[in-house]
Amino acid sequence: MTRADAFNDREVMMCTVARMVEDGRTYWAAGGGTPLYSILLGKRLYAPEAQYVTEDGVIAPEPMLPYEPMMTMVASRAAYRALSWGTMNTAGIHAQLGFMDYGVLNTLQVDQHGNINSTCLGEYGSDTARRFGGPGGADTIAACCWRTILMTDQDRRKFVRQVDFISSPGFLDGTVGARERAGLPRDTGPWRVVTPWAMYDYEERRLRLIARVPWVTVQEILDECEWKPLLAPEIAVLEPPTEEELLILRSELDVRGQTTDAAGGWVTWDGEKYVRQVV
Amino acid sequence: MTTAATPAASIELLAEGQGAYHPVDPDGFRAWVRDNKTRSLTSKLMTAEEAVRRFVSDGDYLAYDCNYLMRGPNLLMHEIIRQKKQKLWLAGKFTYVDVALLVAAGVANRADCGFFLATPPLQHAIREGRLEVFEYSNVVMTIRLQAGAMGLPFMPVRSFGGTQGFDHSGAKLIRDPYTGQPITLIPALNPDVAIIHVHQADKYGNARVFGTGVAHAESAMASRKVIISAEEIIDTEEIRRDPGRTSIPFYAVDAVVEAPFGTYPGNCPGVYASDPAVVFEVFRAISSNAVNDYLDKWVYGVSSHEELLERHVGEAKMRELREREVIREGYRA
Repeated sequence: MTRADAFNDREVMMCTVARMVEDGRTYWAAGGGTPLYSILLGKRLYAPEAQYVTEDGVIAPEPMLPYEPMMTMVASRAAYRALSWGTMNTAGIHAQLGFMDYGVLNTLQVDQHGNINSTCLGEYGSDTARRFGGPGGADTIAACCWRTILMTDQDRRKFVRQVDFISSPGFLDGTVGARERAGLPRDTGPWRVVTPWAMYDYEERRLRLIARVPWVTVQEILDECEWKPLLAPEIAVLEPPTEEELLILRSELDVRGQTTDAAGGWVTWDGEKYVRQVV
Repeated sequence: MTTAATPAASIELLAEGQGAYHPVDPDGFRAWVRDNKTRSLTSKLMTAEEAVRRFVSDGDYLAYDCNYLMRGPNLLMHEIIRQKKQKLWLAGKFTYVDVALLVAAGVANRADCGFFLATPPLQHAIREGRLEVFEYSNVVMTIRLQAGAMGLPFMPVRSFGGTQGFDHSGAKLIRDPYTGQPITLIPALNPDVAIIHVHQADKYGNARVFGTGVAHAESAMASRKVIISAEEIIDTEEIRRDPGRTSIPFYAVDAVVEAPFGTYPGNCPGVYASDPAVVFEVFRAISSNAVNDYLDKWVYGVSSHEELLERHVGEAKMRELREREVIREGYRA
């Protein structure tokens, strides 16, 4: 594995999640985009026996890559060589039964208790609120998978004390048993948050920073949080993407650069250290 | 009857959402089935124009299966827009462009949200009150349809509780009398009309969907009126040779429309690929204020889907899209 010399923010995030994918576990990939590509990359390089499902009830496919633009579900290439085909209720009910170990999803906004907002920015129903797409499959994933991995940008507007709208549940108000009181299955909940700069877990149902990438400091990360997350006693340093990972991402998965966001923030090796280009 | 030995002897309502929801009426649905659904094998073949004219009414709750990009009933959606239906209430689950397109076209003013693309014009419509939105999730919507398809008034689910979508929905949280634990109930959904695009159907409405889907069978069984558009009309003898492949039985269906390339510009899995140029065109249309240009060309400017294919797509393009859909396994009986 060769450390890469140049990559962008989204690629960092997908490579980080890809390395978390484990053999013998089931994953529900929310939508297409970064969660699906992270799982595919993980399967390709690190955990070929990891299995995944998509919202249209495709179980354990071997997709024909690359996808047609935006055609990551129902489409034949996405469902190719699966072990079973179903419908949305297949995925939803299998998660409800406890078959889904991990849900991988992305979001607009996350708060200190891991609640997820994909519905609106600003006060719901007000004239100034900006509407977004809604939870889609994320609410079921966040409620019923045993663990969830959330992917989002490291940005003050996205890392907030309290989300503007809880579309999908984290630890709700953070009190013990809040999820169970809301009717959600026990022992479930948010597990990790991964951004292009950092990784978090939860302590006592609150977000805790546990790792950073080499090119940003803890302070720079905290500056992009609206509130101060808990800090692990030791903040680990994440490995940058490798050439092998990027080659697969760019040439087999996201060949059109739609998900990678090639126009986003880039990180380059200047011969001595990684430097993040400010955009 | 013996005394219940369960943790809670009476049902306790713990919380409830405040969102309006399509009325729940299982007995009314049964009566509709008794009075309106055909039991005999009679041909329901008709044009899209006739099907939409007869079976889609202003103010109807409309469920469409899949979406505009993926085996959606696009020719029926175009026909609904062409006939200028009004005030439809949409089951907006697993939707990219559909809600934005139908709202921009002026045919819908309410939507239950699982997921839809909230483009700037759609955000504007919501702020201006031209679209009222009620909050659910994709799976909550398909389980609502499942409850409707089972003739039940509601269904319990292990998700959705604790969200703010719950507050703007028809859900309720009760204490489950069997376990004593809180459980979310969601109202059954029985749409007035469902439009579903399938791979094959016979003239009576026995329909086959190949590949995955969202909730085609649930939508068909749960809806008062059901319009099927089919890539291919097949003989009933073929249905009888492989009855396990029937996704929707004839007595649920009110109209069958023969519709080759009926989901164009979307992908009909196993039959033809999507047309990316037009997919991008529709994204651009609903994201800007160019939706009228799109509708002028693809809907108002043609009298039927056949004319759309003839004037704007053509044999060569259709051949190319068929060839580009290289995967056939799993999409044939």
